Amino acid sequence: MTVAALTIVRATPSTRLGLVFIASLVAGLLSAPLWATTDALRLLIDIFLYVALACLWNFLAGYAGLVSVGQQAFVGLGGYGLFALSAKAGIPPLLCVPIVGLAAALLSIPIAGLLFRLRGAYFAIGSWVVAEVFRLSAILLTPLGGGSGMSLPARIAQSVGRAPHDRFVAVYWTALALLLGILVIIFLALRSRTGLALTAIRDNELAARSNGVNVGRTKLIVYVATAFGTAMIGALIFLQRLRISPDAAFSVNDWTALVIFMVVIGGLGSFEGPILGALIYFLLRETLANLGPTYLMVLGAVAILVMLLAPRGLWGLVRSRWQIQLLPLQLRVIPLTKH
Amino acid sequence: MAQGKWSLSSPTAISRRRAVQGLALAGAGAIAAPALIGRALAASRTIKLGFVSPESGPIASFGSADEFILAGVRKAIGDGIIVGGVKYPVEILVRDSQSNPSRAAEVAAELITKEKIDLMLASSTADTVNPVADQCEVNGVPCITTDTPWDAFFFGRGGDPAKGFDWTYHFFWGVGQIVETFTGLWNAIETNKTVGALWSNDSDGVAVSNPVHGLPPGFIKAGFKLIDAGLFTPLSNDFTAQITKLKAEKCDIVTGVFLPPDFATFWAQCAQQGFKPKAVTVAKALLFPASVEALGDRGVGLSSEEWWSPDHPFKSGLTGQSAAELCADFTKATGKQWVQPIGFKHALLEVALDVLKRTKNVDDPGSIMESIAATDYQSIVGPVSWKKGPVKNCTTTPLVGGQWVKGKTSKYDIQIVNNAAYPGIATVGKFQPIAYGS
Repeated sequence: MTVAALTIVRATPSTRLGLVFIASLVAGLLSAPLWATTDALRLLIDIFLYVALACLWNFLAGYAGLVSVGQQAFVGLGGYGLFALSAKAGIPPLLCVPIVGLAAALLSIPIAGLLFRLRGAYFAIGSWVVAEVFRLSAILLTPLGGGSGMSLPARIAQSVGRAPHDRFVAVYWTALALLLGILVIIFLALRSRTGLALTAIRDNELAARSNGVNVGRTKLIVYVATAFGTAMIGALIFLQRLRISPDAAFSVNDWTALVIFMVVIGGLGSFEGPILGALIYFLLRETLANLGPTYLMVLGAVAILVMLLAPRGLWGLVRSRWQIQLLPLQLRVIPLTKH
Repeated sequence: MAQGKWSLSSPTAISRRRAVQGLALAGAGAIAAPALIGRALAASRTIKLGFVSPESGPIASFGSADEFILAGVRKAIGDGIIVGGVKYPVEILVRDSQSNPSRAAEVAAELITKEKIDLMLASSTADTVNPVADQCEVNGVPCITTDTPWDAFFFGRGGDPAKGFDWTYHFFWGVGQIVETFTGLWNAIETNKTVGALWSNDSDGVAVSNPVHGLPPGFIKAGFKLIDAGLFTPLSNDFTAQITKLKAEKCDIVTGVFLPPDFATFWAQCAQQGFKPKAVTVAKALLFPASVEALGDRGVGLSSEEWWSPDHPFKSGLTGQSAAELCADFTKATGKQWVQPIGFKHALLEVALDVLKRTKNVDDPGSIMESIAATDYQSIVGPVSWKKGPVKNCTTTPLVGGQWVKGKTSKYDIQIVNNAAYPGIATVGKFQPIAYGS
């Protein structure tokens, strides 16, 4: 019996094919303003924003093990930041997006200091409590409309683009750039030392710690980076909504429960899973949303079925059955020579 | 074709995409032309109306009559309406806001970009109306709304009375009329003229409690002493502090804005603490029979604003039905007691149809706006005309005072007890102080 020489690779034929697929998809999306209708752009913006939220939450929960149900704190912060800076300080709305991202990242550091004292379920509840504190604080902010919220003045929304189509194109570019940026950063992070540490933490935190992984620091990096991205997405969401109120901005249903739904049905702890999950959600929403309460029941049933039949999400199912992977992220051991 | 509406707001922005689409349309038209000969007066397209309303979620009761009202209006429209000598079929696209302002904005954006509606309609609470109107204002789509105080619609969206809005118009009563109606009720009985007030911290409560253009200065001007217990967070469970304050100040009258479940909590805690005001007149919480049934017999004697009832002497300009007939039809069709939004949902649709019938060029949103501004219409909720509004984009409908009594055919009924503001609407009963059992 000969012992085969072994090698470790990331790239496989399926990831090479995957990269070609992704490259053509990105090219298609980049050129969308040339061929898509205003309505298609609107839907794509919505999809981009939710895909980004899902990937960010997955980065947080699926890799760093920080199961937060309080990410709406940063979505709302981004939205309120955009409204305050653009309507009250006169800063161009699209310029506000990175500013509120930075502000949220700074604010997330003391919040992390508070929340990281809690573990598991306590962390989840704690993060929700922080988001509720944000919501209640927003109710008290009378210059921004208090409990009733405020509208983005039409002239400010129109400063992004005079005609509706131009506005949608401008927001489309920003949303796409933001989404690609977030995906690339997550991808690179996962392939870096931090990514290795994260994978170790995901699989077993104690073992990771005993192997010398600085768990606290790694988690903090992920938490702050996620806050940065989530707030920028939040700013764009409310630039599209044109009106903000505390209940809408800090809604646990809209910005966390739905996002968890996407990540769970897509596959927690995989790069592709949340993207697939978000696409499935939009497929369901576009076809069934007019059914009213029945639609919500369908969503619930889908979540339960996926959790029972494919505990690792639909992407997990696809990956284990067909051994395919879109991105060169996972290490594989293969024999060098065939026997 | 509806693409044309975008180029109106920006005549220079004709992109390559639109040009290609235009060519494609022209091509399709050339091919289809022979089929269209001989139908010159039939419209080449359908007029589309967007209709956003809360049909599920916490404020679904406001949308509970939608299906009935839409069925009636669709029947009245039949195969179309005549605009500028051409008969157009009319499609009403109904979207549920799920009682969620974000969802309302989302469906409004979808109606505008995907369905390319000609006219947007939205109703029931500022959380539905305001996000929809904001989308229309920015995207340049004509919009008519109703069923939230005009102050919440106008000031809640940052409206400037000197400028107003370009695309969004609203009809409903406002805060000034509440002052007149509520104080009219309270003056009818003997009290110490001390009013305690609590306000729900939401779109309607914030607008109504505004110290400059809200209720408080109105009550003070009418000679009442106001004990303001301030804004409370909606769906909070504890009113002890507020009740203690009102009790200590010996308020004979309680007023404010509540969501129905908040009022139920408040009223139960008043009983626990032995606080027995002579009049409780609150906005928003006591509009529906179901909200009063939830209070049981302690709901009898409570009073509220009454926007519309079967006793209102108005007729639909679309179907010719009187208010009483419409309510009777509703009860026959659904087996349920009439509710106040019935009249306004119907009025919103009939005003929209009247606007369209008077529009010169339905393909031009600007022409639809001219028609809206020129409206002078007799609807089932009374006259609607934006020429004489309190501000540019708002006009008011009549408001009277109502009190809940034990009903004859239904468990509880609201009856008109004060018509100071609109003597044309006859009162049905006399306002009574709340009777407390032993």
